[in-house]
Amino acid sequence: MIRRHSIWGIFLHWGNAVCWLFLLFSGFALLVNPEMSPVGEWWTSAWSTLFGGLYPLLSAHVAVGMAWIALCLVFVILRGRKEALPFMKEITSLHPASDMTWCMRKGLRLTIGEKVMRRMGMDPALPPQGFYNAGQKLAAIAAVVSSFGLIVTGCIMVFAGTHAGTEELLRWSMLIHFCCAGIMAIVLPIHIYMAALAPGEGPALRSMFTGFVPEDFVRRHNPLWFKKLKGN
Amino acid sequence: MSRYVMVIDATKCMNCKACLVACQQRNHVPLGHARNWVRQTPDVSSPLGFAFQPGACMHCDKPLCVDACPTHATYKADDGSVVIDKSRCIGCGSCIIACPYDARYKDTATGTADKCDYCREYSAPGEVPACVRVCPTHCRTFGDADNPEDPVSLLLKENKQVHVVAKNCDTKPSLTYLNHTIPTDWPRDAEIPATVKAMEHVATGTRWLGGLALFGVIGVFLKQLVLPSDREHGPENAHDDNSRNDQGGQA
Repeated sequence: MIRRHSIWGIFLHWGNAVCWLFLLFSGFALLVNPEMSPVGEWWTSAWSTLFGGLYPLLSAHVAVGMAWIALCLVFVILRGRKEALPFMKEITSLHPASDMTWCMRKGLRLTIGEKVMRRMGMDPALPPQGFYNAGQKLAAIAAVVSSFGLIVTGCIMVFAGTHAGTEELLRWSMLIHFCCAGIMAIVLPIHIYMAALAPGEGPALRSMFTGFVPEDFVRRHNPLWFKKLKGN
Repeated sequence: MSRYVMVIDATKCMNCKACLVACQQRNHVPLGHARNWVRQTPDVSSPLGFAFQPGACMHCDKPLCVDACPTHATYKADDGSVVIDKSRCIGCGSCIIACPYDARYKDTATGTADKCDYCREYSAPGEVPACVRVCPTHCRTFGDADNPEDPVSLLLKENKQVHVVAKNCDTKPSLTYLNHTIPTDWPRDAEIPATVKAMEHVATGTRWLGGLALFGVIGVFLKQLVLPSDREHGPENAHDDNSRNDQGGQA
């Protein structure tokens, strides 16, 4: 078995998961204007009923948001050099040609399947991947950029309201906050499927609890990382 | 259900501004702001040389301020009045820009938008507002337009109704002037801020792309259950993988 995630990383991942899902669902419910609601009036009404009104829901959204920011800050402060920076370095080491090929072929393999790809004259083989594959890197970049946007604009909306002349800033913050949440609403279902529901991903899902993945799994899924480990 | 409206006979106004003072005291309006006003226009036909036009939030039937509010902290109540739920207002000021009558302001003490609410914050809905109560000439009348015995209904029935309407958008103001008032061309163009309009497009994009992602992965999940295409990922086929160049995985 090979250690893939530290205890801190696992804690941050599941903390993120719980906070993001709640913040996404409650945030969409707070957009009461039917023209700006991504889900519909029924969603607002369901969450409002669950929390006994929109004000308690807004308070819960702000409270969970602040708890999530605190969680991120603690992680960055305590594990910045050892985990956050290497993570950033890893997800931003992009190889455009190889990454694009991986994303396209992986998508086609999951939808039309390998046999059909071969029949159509397409090569289904995936380019070798490192610690993170191309899909994971793109999802992680989207998550980091969106998180940064959500944190900054969320704080502006919570704290800048009582200052005069901040209306334009608040409107831009609201728009950017919504854009970032929208990106996460698109990325999260794909991430949840690819990481937890896709065939053969059991070891990856279990590693998010135990921190370890079987050596054979790493050899097949992350050969470049495997080579690096063996090289060391 | 009651439908509250304010009716104003502008010819009775003598510009004493008691309505402004009463409103500011009753509603704790911050210095430099006002929930109501009296417009003064030179008018040679008037004995005073000026025509006065008292006003306040028009409590429109198609309020653009409500359309501009992302959280619907501003909403049209069942009794016809346009009100603000301050607990849900984040103070983005979209409604302030959207109102062609400039009837709104931002209260920096609370960080929320504010405006005339017929004094309902400090009394019960339907109770006569402070501006109406103190007017010495009774030029302002407030009541239930759906109650045929209410003085407001009688005034609306017996007089010509005049509304002050924005040039580029008829928001159907419910505040009604009786017979004659000047000026009627002062409201500015009504507009919803571009950033708020953009949120409508973001909502549409999120709805479609998020829905596509969600239903896409559900579709692929079901397809993989019935017709698994990535057999080599399964641990039972791990031995096959040595001969394949497969390095897939989670995203």
